[in-house]
Amino acid sequence: MRISAVNTKGFASAQRAGFPFRQVFSVLVLLFAFSLLSAKDHIIRVGIYHNPPKVFVDEHGNPAGIFVDIIEEIARSEGWSLGWYPGSWEENLRLLSSGELDLMPDVAFNEERAELYDFHQSPVLVSWSQLFSRKDLRIRTYTDLDGLVIAVLKNSVQESILEEVVSGLGINSRFLRLDSFDEVLDSVEDKDADLAATSVFFGRMNAKEHRLVESPLIFNPSNLYFASPKGKNQDLLSAIDRHLELMKSDSESVYFSSLQHWTPEARRWELPTWILISIILLGMTLAITIAGSIILRRQVLLRTNELRQTNQEMELRIEDRTEELGFALRQAQVADMLKSAFLATMSHELRTPLNSIIGFTGILLQKLPGEINPEQEKMLKIIQTSSRHLLSLINDVLDISKIEAGQLELRLSDVNLQATLEKVIGLVSLQAEEKELDLKLEMMTRNVFIKVDQRRFEQVLLNLLSNAIKFTDKGSVTLISEKKENTLRITVKDSGIGIPEDKLDALFMPFQQIDTGLNRKYEGTGLGLSISQKLIRLMGGDITLESKINQGSSFHICLPLDQEKHDE
Amino acid sequence: MSKLVLIIEDNRENYYLMRYLLEHHGLRVIGADSGWMGIEMAIYNKPDIILLDIQLPEMDGYSVARRIRSNPEIKDIPIVAVTSYAMMGDKEHALAAGANAYIEKPINPDSFADEILEYLEDFRSDDEDPVR
Repeated sequence: MRISAVNTKGFASAQRAGFPFRQVFSVLVLLFAFSLLSAKDHIIRVGIYHNPPKVFVDEHGNPAGIFVDIIEEIARSEGWSLGWYPGSWEENLRLLSSGELDLMPDVAFNEERAELYDFHQSPVLVSWSQLFSRKDLRIRTYTDLDGLVIAVLKNSVQESILEEVVSGLGINSRFLRLDSFDEVLDSVEDKDADLAATSVFFGRMNAKEHRLVESPLIFNPSNLYFASPKGKNQDLLSAIDRHLELMKSDSESVYFSSLQHWTPEARRWELPTWILISIILLGMTLAITIAGSIILRRQVLLRTNELRQTNQEMELRIEDRTEELGFALRQAQVADMLKSAFLATMSHELRTPLNSIIGFTGILLQKLPGEINPEQEKMLKIIQTSSRHLLSLINDVLDISKIEAGQLELRLSDVNLQATLEKVIGLVSLQAEEKELDLKLEMMTRNVFIKVDQRRFEQVLLNLLSNAIKFTDKGSVTLISEKKENTLRITVKDSGIGIPEDKLDALFMPFQQIDTGLNRKYEGTGLGLSISQKLIRLMGGDITLESKINQGSSFHICLPLDQEKHDE
Repeated sequence: MSKLVLIIEDNRENYYLMRYLLEHHGLRVIGADSGWMGIEMAIYNKPDIILLDIQLPEMDGYSVARRIRSNPEIKDIPIVAVTSYAMMGDKEHALAAGANAYIEKPINPDSFADEILEYLEDFRSDDEDPVR
């Protein structure tokens, strides 16, 4: 049977080992048998030989390749049934010429063959032969082949053409003749040869695997067709032509998709577009994110540095200020100390001579050293009075100095008001008697205790009382104690000469005295009232004044009453 | 035997004044013009009362008072501080340093001696009590 002959022989020479011949064989037998049974159907017998990617049988035993894709597409359109006849190149050509095959793919047109077979018009593929070299070789022209070994398929067109070229150009090259294109490529990989001559399709499909690169040396361009036995299948061939024309003009057709599918060159490892776009977008996003983060980080750093600088500056300034303040404080403290020292010294210095004056005058007036005559006594009394006066002036000056310097300390205690008022009345009663004035005490409060500095308070009362007596020539001086809500009011009222309204405010200023033309009579530094007011203010109250010319004056001491204490 | 007063005072006039008044009131008076001298004399003479001027040169009055108080031989002798009473806290300072009382300068010649006699009465130690 034809099939068995084809099978055994064809596969043995053209295929690699490990090919499932038996399975393929069975399938094909069935197909053929089937086709015979449906006697009416016209099966087109198509030869296959091993020349991937143009035409071959794949590992699953199916016909594959560019020519296969095309003829199957045409068959579908036309409603043909195809039968596949794998075999070797020579075998199939023989079968073709004898009419036992209808079509043979991948046949290059030449004059000889035109005698034997029919070709259709429009070529299926344009092919050429090409030299593929080792990666490290830089082949640019045919002369570069000098001294190199070229692997070729035995009895192939590549062999014959190259032999002509080489001898024609006088190049010294050797040929390594092998039995298959696979062996041809292998030999270069194994370094038995430097170059491999194969068809462009085969070479491109397998170059990478074998670590070869395309050289620019191409030759033997040929158009590849389906060939058919002479004079037989004109209808087939025209159909093929028709379809080819259509396919080649449609970029979406099987023609192009098949080419793309099978030709690795076109099939460079490409990322599907969507992946590429995603990666680019991702990349961009990443880049932006990173850039953003870098920028932010820089900003933060800058800011941090700025802040740190500002901080440092602030701290420096704070240090400066603190130093300045510390200095100012120390200066103030020193000033205070100086004031205190001054006051202490002045006080001591002023009182010391007075001690002698007052003391010895007193001793003399006591007649301790001996008797004195009335004249001496009179004079000594004058000295004594003057020195006491001087002492009180010195005390006033020192008091006001202390108050001004903030050195006056009040010793507050709970003072029995009634007892105090009675005491001071007693102290000035002699002074009032001498001027024949009525001295009265009006207590309108009961059991009042005030929180004051007792000594200073008495000092103020005495000051006001003696002023009142001093400026009153006739009538009375009254000491009144009243309570209004939470305020205690003590009044020193006199029926004296009074004080003009425009001079009222000035009275409390230090060194002020009203000018009544009677200055000589009312001696004093004028400090008394100003000290009194300051003292009362330090105790939390105030002194106010009412006066009418020739009618008299009322000096009011107002003090707050926080709590009342009752004398049990 | 009349009481003995030790006056520690560097100003001659002040000393003269106080001494005159006290002697004319029946008291015996000895004096020192510095803190050191005063302490020595106190130890040696064991006075009944010490009048101590606060404003002394070299060792100030407060220190003298403290030293007297910490010396076992003389710690019980009453001390009256004589001060100008110038600044805040003078009185407290004197009392804190160990004085029993104080008198302000300028002194009142009419009452000075009586005041001292009173202090002698108030502060005298028991073993001088004639009743026992």
